[in-house]
Amino acid sequence: MGDAEAGKKIFTQKCAQCHTVEKGGKHKTGPNLWGLFGRKTGQAPGFLYTDANKNKGVVWGEDTLMEYLENPKKYIPGTKMVFAGLKKKSERKDLIQYLKQATSS
Amino acid sequence: MPLPQAIETQDDQRRATMSPWSGQQMQRTPFLLLLLVALAQGVTPSPKACVTLPSPGGSTVSCFSPARFPAPLPADTVHLAVEFSTLTQLPASALRGATGLRELHLASNRLRELPATLLLPVPRLEVLDLTHNSLTQLPPGLFRASAALRVLVLKANRLEALQASWLLGLKGLEHLDLSSNSLQTLPPGLLASLGALRTLDLGDNQLETLPPDLLRGPRRLERLHLEENRLQVLGERLLAQQPALRYLFLGDNRLTTVAAGAFHNLKELDMLDLSNNLLSSVPRGLWESLGMPSRDMGDGFDISGNPWVCDQNLDDLLRWLVANKHRMFSQNDTRCAGPDALRGRMLLEVSGSP
Repeated sequence: MGDAEAGKKIFTQKCAQCHTVEKGGKHKTGPNLWGLFGRKTGQAPGFLYTDANKNKGVVWGEDTLMEYLENPKKYIPGTKMVFAGLKKKSERKDLIQYLKQATSS
Repeated sequence: MPLPQAIETQDDQRRATMSPWSGQQMQRTPFLLLLLVALAQGVTPSPKACVTLPSPGGSTVSCFSPARFPAPLPADTVHLAVEFSTLTQLPASALRGATGLRELHLASNRLRELPATLLLPVPRLEVLDLTHNSLTQLPPGLFRASAALRVLVLKANRLEALQASWLLGLKGLEHLDLSSNSLQTLPPGLLASLGALRTLDLGDNQLETLPPDLLRGPRRLERLHLEENRLQVLGERLLAQQPALRYLFLGDNRLTTVAAGAFHNLKELDMLDLSNNLLSSVPRGLWESLGMPSRDMGDGFDISGNPWVCDQNLDDLLRWLVANKHRMFSQNDTRCAGPDALRGRMLLEVSGSP
């Protein structure tokens, strides 16, 4: 099980520039992530996604996020998300654990 | 210009937007034969390399592992991605005609150099992503027409040295990512022309020292990433140039010394990462401007993974920890390496705070 505290630091360092997590948080360069788990790709209300993201058609959960966050451009070719990914499995686990807590009540 | 009707299926998409550069083979060879051949070789047939789709404001062209750079580009291209190819260079005319281009994603190719005139046809370009290529340098004048560029990512290339002149023209640049290269030193005045810069990422390089005027130029830098380098000393002048700095990452360096005035006047700092360095002590007064009682550090701090010597010299830090422990990451990994009697004890414990 990932360490959510470590995940929060990773989020601030690598993600917070473009994403917020809290309910009602604003869209920035990337969508607000509230409600992420259990939702299909490209569905955060009010954000303009690429077709690549909308059409990916998977549901975000631990497994899909583990794969995505290793190399987002490989998982969703054509995405406009400029992020090379997290190579370390432990970092992805920690981040996902944090996201699980921070994006739902 | 009215948008084409929504397209229902992938097949419909392909038929509706068959691009002129699709492989001749795909059009001539019966699909089944190709499939049989591919299966016989134990390889799944690759999807058509380039897809063109309508998007707000123009066309999106997306190429995954193309054999060559797509040409010609639709005149209304606003978003172009050419990624995961073996391309080592681009023709100087590559972007000609795509005058409305806003985003150019060229990640994960094998680009060794860029033609100096590449970006002249695309003055409205806002995002250029060159992550994971083989660039060792940039041609002079590359960005002379790029005042609209906001995001420039050169992460994971082979840059060993930089020249300030390479960045001339980037008046509107907000985000510059030079991480994961082989930079050992930085030239003076590197950021002098980057007045709009908000984020600078120099993480994962081999920087041992920094020119003290490095941060002169940007009117209001917010985020500075220096993690995973070989810095030994943090002097007083570096951060004085940017008093409005909000996020400072210095983890995984070789810091042994931080000057007492290094963080002086950083009244907006929300996150400070000094984890995994070689700090056994820090001077009194270092924390004066940071955190409580002056101001809460909203996103926290991390001083774990250092060989702290928990003697009287550390009393200022320990007092500060008590007032700011609610913002402290990795509390369990922030421990004393000495003196002997206290080795292994958590700093928070030694500070008298349970």
